[in-house]
Amino acid sequence: MKKKIFRNIAIVSAIFIVAFSAMLITNYFQVRGFDPLQAEVVETLKQINDENAGNVKLQEQIRQLDLLARRAYFVRLDHLRSGVYIMVAMLVVFVAALRFYFAEEKNIPGKQISPVDDWMEKTLARKYVAWIAGGLVAAALVFVFFTAPFLKSGTDALMGQPAGDVYAAAEQSAAGEGENVAPSAGEDTVENTADGLAESLAEAVGENPEGAQEAQNPAEEAASVSAPKVAHSCFRGNNSNAVSPARNVPVKWNPTTGENIAWASDIPRHGFNSPVITGNKVFITGADEQARELYCYDLTTGKLLWTLAASNIPGSPSKMPETTEDTGLAASTVATNGKQVCGIFASGDLICADMEGKRLWAKNLGVPQNHYGYASSLLTFGSLLIVQYDNSVAPKVMALDMATGDERWTKSRTDKITWSSPIIAYVNNQPQLVLMGSPSITAYNPSNGEQYWRVEGLSGEVASSPCSAAGVVFGASEYAALIAVNATTGQTLWTANDFLPEVSSPVATKDNVYLATSYGVLACYDAQTGELKRSHELNTEFYSSPIITEGKLYVFSNSGKMFIYSANQSFDLLSSFDTGQKTFATPAFTDGRIVVRTEKGIYCAKVES
Amino acid sequence: MLNAVKKSATLSTRILRIWATLPFLFHAGVAGAQRFPKPDFESGYKYPELYYAIPNESLWTAVDITLLAALMSVVAWAVIKRRTRAPVVVTSVISVAYFGFFRSGCVCSIGAIQNVAVALADSSYVIPPSALLFFILPIIFAILAGRVFCAGVCPLGALQELVNVKSYRLSKALTAALSIIPWIYLIFAVLFAVTRSGFIICRFDPFIGIFRLGGDIGMIVFGALLLVAAIFTGRPFCRLHCPYGALLSLFARVSVWKVKITPGCISCELCHNACPVDAIRAPYANKVKESRAQGVKRILLYLLLLPAMACAGALTLRVASNSLSRVNKDVRLYDMVAQNEATPQDVQLPELEAFYGQGGTVEELSRRAATVEADFRRYATAAGALMGMVVGFTLIGLSLKRTRKTYEINDAACVHCARCFSYCPQKK
Repeated sequence: MKKKIFRNIAIVSAIFIVAFSAMLITNYFQVRGFDPLQAEVVETLKQINDENAGNVKLQEQIRQLDLLARRAYFVRLDHLRSGVYIMVAMLVVFVAALRFYFAEEKNIPGKQISPVDDWMEKTLARKYVAWIAGGLVAAALVFVFFTAPFLKSGTDALMGQPAGDVYAAAEQSAAGEGENVAPSAGEDTVENTADGLAESLAEAVGENPEGAQEAQNPAEEAASVSAPKVAHSCFRGNNSNAVSPARNVPVKWNPTTGENIAWASDIPRHGFNSPVITGNKVFITGADEQARELYCYDLTTGKLLWTLAASNIPGSPSKMPETTEDTGLAASTVATNGKQVCGIFASGDLICADMEGKRLWAKNLGVPQNHYGYASSLLTFGSLLIVQYDNSVAPKVMALDMATGDERWTKSRTDKITWSSPIIAYVNNQPQLVLMGSPSITAYNPSNGEQYWRVEGLSGEVASSPCSAAGVVFGASEYAALIAVNATTGQTLWTANDFLPEVSSPVATKDNVYLATSYGVLACYDAQTGELKRSHELNTEFYSSPIITEGKLYVFSNSGKMFIYSANQSFDLLSSFDTGQKTFATPAFTDGRIVVRTEKGIYCAKVES
Repeated sequence: MLNAVKKSATLSTRILRIWATLPFLFHAGVAGAQRFPKPDFESGYKYPELYYAIPNESLWTAVDITLLAALMSVVAWAVIKRRTRAPVVVTSVISVAYFGFFRSGCVCSIGAIQNVAVALADSSYVIPPSALLFFILPIIFAILAGRVFCAGVCPLGALQELVNVKSYRLSKALTAALSIIPWIYLIFAVLFAVTRSGFIICRFDPFIGIFRLGGDIGMIVFGALLLVAAIFTGRPFCRLHCPYGALLSLFARVSVWKVKITPGCISCELCHNACPVDAIRAPYANKVKESRAQGVKRILLYLLLLPAMACAGALTLRVASNSLSRVNKDVRLYDMVAQNEATPQDVQLPELEAFYGQGGTVEELSRRAATVEADFRRYATAAGALMGMVVGFTLIGLSLKRTRKTYEINDAACVHCARCFSYCPQKK
């Protein structure tokens, strides 16, 4: 009788255990797959709230729903835990019932012990061992067979090679897009038309064998990454030095009448950044609260070829940082090396694409603490992307691999925040990365971030970028000084403060330094002595930076008036005309064309046909 | 006989009582709430800082070690000296309660193998003293008194022991052949440990989810199935899975004090039938028709083949080493990063988010991955050779012929559960 009871208890508890297990497992998967913060209704309401801020009722409703979702989640979790306890208890009951059920049964042999055939068992066991061993080898081979192809497809080209080969592989993968890449550096015969520019121009296109030998990997890569023949690779052109190798540049155009205008297009989103050109592509960015985008236009037709949104970037803030109206979220100019193009936004989102608009990588560098908004432009040095990441918390300069986004080096900076952009200055055929700061101008080795020299003398809010010519680096900031630094020794050559730029950046030849002020003065200083040679008061404002090409200095006023001066001792006005469109960005120059970003759009001026 | 039945019933009642108190005892040990993102307040509300009382780990470690040594001493005394089972059962209950549920199954001697392996391979790794002692002490006791640790001090073995009701037999030939699995598992565990690819013994501990009343659902189900199997057959995990048991079996063979068949054995076969792990060998008259010369030839052949088996194992695992290295998180991450670099995805995996977010560099990652791959090539070759030798020695062991006139205990297999004593009619 007792035995029957125990048997029945065991059966009932076993059925209970099986049924309860199924329920627990179901509950487990329900709890595991549920994220209260991602509840559909809550998410939808949150989205509506984002679009219509200030709806207190809606916000309260979201809070209530959020609370309910969380409560439901934790209640389910509690149930699961209680279920486990009940399960354990039932297991105990089951085992106990079984024990009592079998308690009276003894393992008494039913008949006389017969000799165990030990040998037969061993013989059989040997066979099993052989099968198991064979099975293991077969399993290993199958495992290798099925995993090897997967591994090969993903990484064999990369694995087992030196680390640097990752970049080579990435570059190989981009090689198919070479149509847009201009001929090799060797074909780039640059005939400078401005005094003292030969060196800079040759450097800009990689004709710098001595420098390439001295500099390490990045410099070698600088030579190997073939720059377009007349690229304007970043803010103020190649090396960000405001000197363009472009030839046959237009000297007159009118967007209103269409005179010498190749095309004009709208830009989907707002920005103050300047266009850059490589091959037949023009790059620019735009951003607002809704999105941050990188645009590619056709240089010939002005057609918007592709748009790449800087979205789904880990760490990207959901709410954009506060910026002033004259800075915005897209003040930084993009940079390209002819294979990749990278853009950065005030949110700290850095995105890089290939020439076809395929996103290569993206990262958020951390939202920069910047009371106007992040504005430093990107710079390319071979395969390196230089980012002057000035902010109030942890200013730094870093070099990333353009193909992969991998950090090559980083240096923290002690200077106060600036809105200036870095440049590459070639000094005795050696590249120097020069950064403005407050209060210093600092030069680094662009290959490894090693500091070469640092000169103090600036102050206040520095927005202007440096420039260089003939081994001298020039930097200026309003209310401080224009400083000339011997980049070989790091010694200050001279300072001047007659006219100083606020936003616009200076440009230099070996003889002269030119700058444009926000109060409408164009000034020319002697590059050797710092003496003010000539100035023009133009009753306008200059935010755009002057560019020198073919011996001429081009500069836009904020109102959209183009001034063309001779970039020589006389500094004479050669031409000026009103384009009728406000222009704050610096135009991009290439053979026969100038691309201009205006307040609302973008257009391309061409030489008279 | 009646006496034995009564004892068994009393024991069952005792176990039931102890089991019934378990949930209350371990309530405090239940894992905390699952990690969960906090609400994002925009009203400026700041979360209060959380303070956690730091447990006095050194005290608990001392208790662990002391209890481990004490329980093994009790088992050794009970099994070798007293030849009684009751203390073993009590020990099992204490072990499951303390080492299992209260201490959540960690540190355990089985997992400590990996700490020791890492310490031997990497001089920079400082092995926690508790892990070292948990590894060493059961071995010392095994040299002295056999596998007393397995008897009821190991919470995994103890749990299986406590739930065992019937000992349905598996084919002896099959269990003999499957006995190579713990060795292979041990070799893999050491391989993955020394390459810093993970502690697979801990990760795939089938009972940890039960002890912690939560965890990976797959492992909990596996543990539950093993436990159900343990109700009807003796210690399936210990016999067919446990790597530490394999290691202890080596030392148990040469132990100073061994468990012995009751003097004056009447060959009733009760002990043989009662043994849940088939560690009692019945008398056997060697009536093999195979000639002695043929048997010797076979052994010589296996001895000759032993290097070939080692080489075959080494070659196989060397070939597989590249695939095996994907277990390592650095190599896996490198694969992900490389694939992402080749074909960038808009939505990134959490691993990639973490990698890029922390400013990881491909060079550094590549260097680490290459080091791991080289380690895998080297260690996997050695592991494969060892596996080949395990197979070879198992075959040689299975080729030996021995005649037994009385019941004998297989010291390597005996887990000192003392079940046989309670059935022996000759026991005084």
